[in-house]
Amino acid sequence: MDTMTYTTQNIWTWWIALYLFFGGLGAATLTITFLTDMYCRPHRKLVLWGALSGVVLLAISSAVLFGHLLHHAAVIYVLNPLVFIFKPDSWIAWGTQFILWMMVWGMLYALPYMRETPFFQRIPLVRGMLQWPLVAWLSDCCMKRRRIVGWLAAINGIGTAVYTGLLIQSFPAVALWHNPGVPLLFTVSAFSTAFAYLLLLLNLFITDENDDDLRHRYERMDLILISTELVILFSFFNYTLSGSESGYRSAQLLWGDWGWLIGFIGFGLLVPFLLELKGVIKGWGSRLPTVAAAVLVLMGGYLLRHYFMYAGVYAYPW
Amino acid sequence: MTRYAMVIDLNTCVGCNACMAACAMENQTPVWKNKWRTYVHEKEIGTTEQVRRRFFPRLCNHCDNPPCLTVCPTGATYKRADGIVMVDPERCMGCRACAMACPYDARYEVTYDDIRTGKEFYGELQRQSPSMDKCSFCAHRLDKGLKPACVETCVGSARMFGDLDNPSDPVTQLVASGVAQPLMPHLGTRPNVYYIDDMKRKG
Repeated sequence: MDTMTYTTQNIWTWWIALYLFFGGLGAATLTITFLTDMYCRPHRKLVLWGALSGVVLLAISSAVLFGHLLHHAAVIYVLNPLVFIFKPDSWIAWGTQFILWMMVWGMLYALPYMRETPFFQRIPLVRGMLQWPLVAWLSDCCMKRRRIVGWLAAINGIGTAVYTGLLIQSFPAVALWHNPGVPLLFTVSAFSTAFAYLLLLLNLFITDENDDDLRHRYERMDLILISTELVILFSFFNYTLSGSESGYRSAQLLWGDWGWLIGFIGFGLLVPFLLELKGVIKGWGSRLPTVAAAVLVLMGGYLLRHYFMYAGVYAYPW
Repeated sequence: MTRYAMVIDLNTCVGCNACMAACAMENQTPVWKNKWRTYVHEKEIGTTEQVRRRFFPRLCNHCDNPPCLTVCPTGATYKRADGIVMVDPERCMGCRACAMACPYDARYEVTYDDIRTGKEFYGELQRQSPSMDKCSFCAHRLDKGLKPACVETCVGSARMFGDLDNPSDPVTQLVASGVAQPLMPHLGTRPNVYYIDDMKRKG
């Protein structure tokens, strides 16, 4: 029993990295836009983009996971809200409910804005649905209880972002995953990628000059989150260097890989950090650097999860 | 109260793989893709004249604190009162989180394709649904008063099966003596499969 075998896994690969990436990105995007609408200033376009992006991204994320299930019909057990009673210890159960309710509350929060937006009135089926008496009544209720609905969506959004890390943390055999830094890292990354995504929207699709304050605020927030992510990653580097063979081998896999070093740390974090830093301190003459930084942060967000899944090392005692 | 456990003596396992064959026939595992509920891992240890082959039978450790049970979102993985960790294939959606959580590499997947192949291979297949699968200590045999198929077939008597709540059971005595040790106890999984090490004698 003194000999050990060290190996990575090929069970949860790129598709779970996509699930975690889209899940975290969608949830954080929705949360940020709703909080902006509630506490900065009402912003119909941002809420609509945020809510719809959140729902679409989470739908893609869930579809990726669903497509890889072995027994699709059994998913009904985890969609049942009573899952909390019989499986309160499973993070996938919590995550599924967070995702589900985030979508529901998210659409309800956006509903009053949808009803007054000409774009939705032009889509035949949607226009018809928005005029249903039940939908009109729901819309009025949500308008009256705006903050409650917004916070219900935001809490589920934050829950989804944190869940993506807790899920990976729940595998005890792998030192890289089973530590309290993972939920923190994934949550910070989710919100960083969401700010980057919103900066993309605010620079390419919602190009109102009145939103300059939002652009600066989001850029500053992203800068802080990227810095935090770098600090957490440095802690991970130190943590994996000693303490367990599993962790050490993960460190060798990650820090010896150019994709991680150059692709993620370099182009996914450091380059956008520097671009955004100059944007915050001195500003840029064009939108291109901000857009480039946002694209790089998004790419880095996926790479983080991709490499994390592939670098987890199991230690088998045989 | 019964609390089932298995002790595997690495000194007497000869690597005949009869346990794998008996288990496969008993539990209809997808052997066509080299997936087994119990598997005898072979490894060459040492160099030059010192080299020797070691056989290491593996299976689900039926942990008292099983991480596969905790992560299972549908409740398909559950624990019986006698300590056996079971999988309900009808309830399992096959997310594979249990396989990720298991530190003993005890889980494997059974797909729709495996069910089709299984019907041809075994004639009549007990399972109807795809799911993650693993050793059940042959719970269906235990309920009839029989031993697990791998224990019954082991030619070197390397596998011993017993009740840890029975002080006079040889398995209980081996575990209590400290001769038989669980795998990776530092993970806190509290396994119920114990191994008698061969390295001190042969190494």
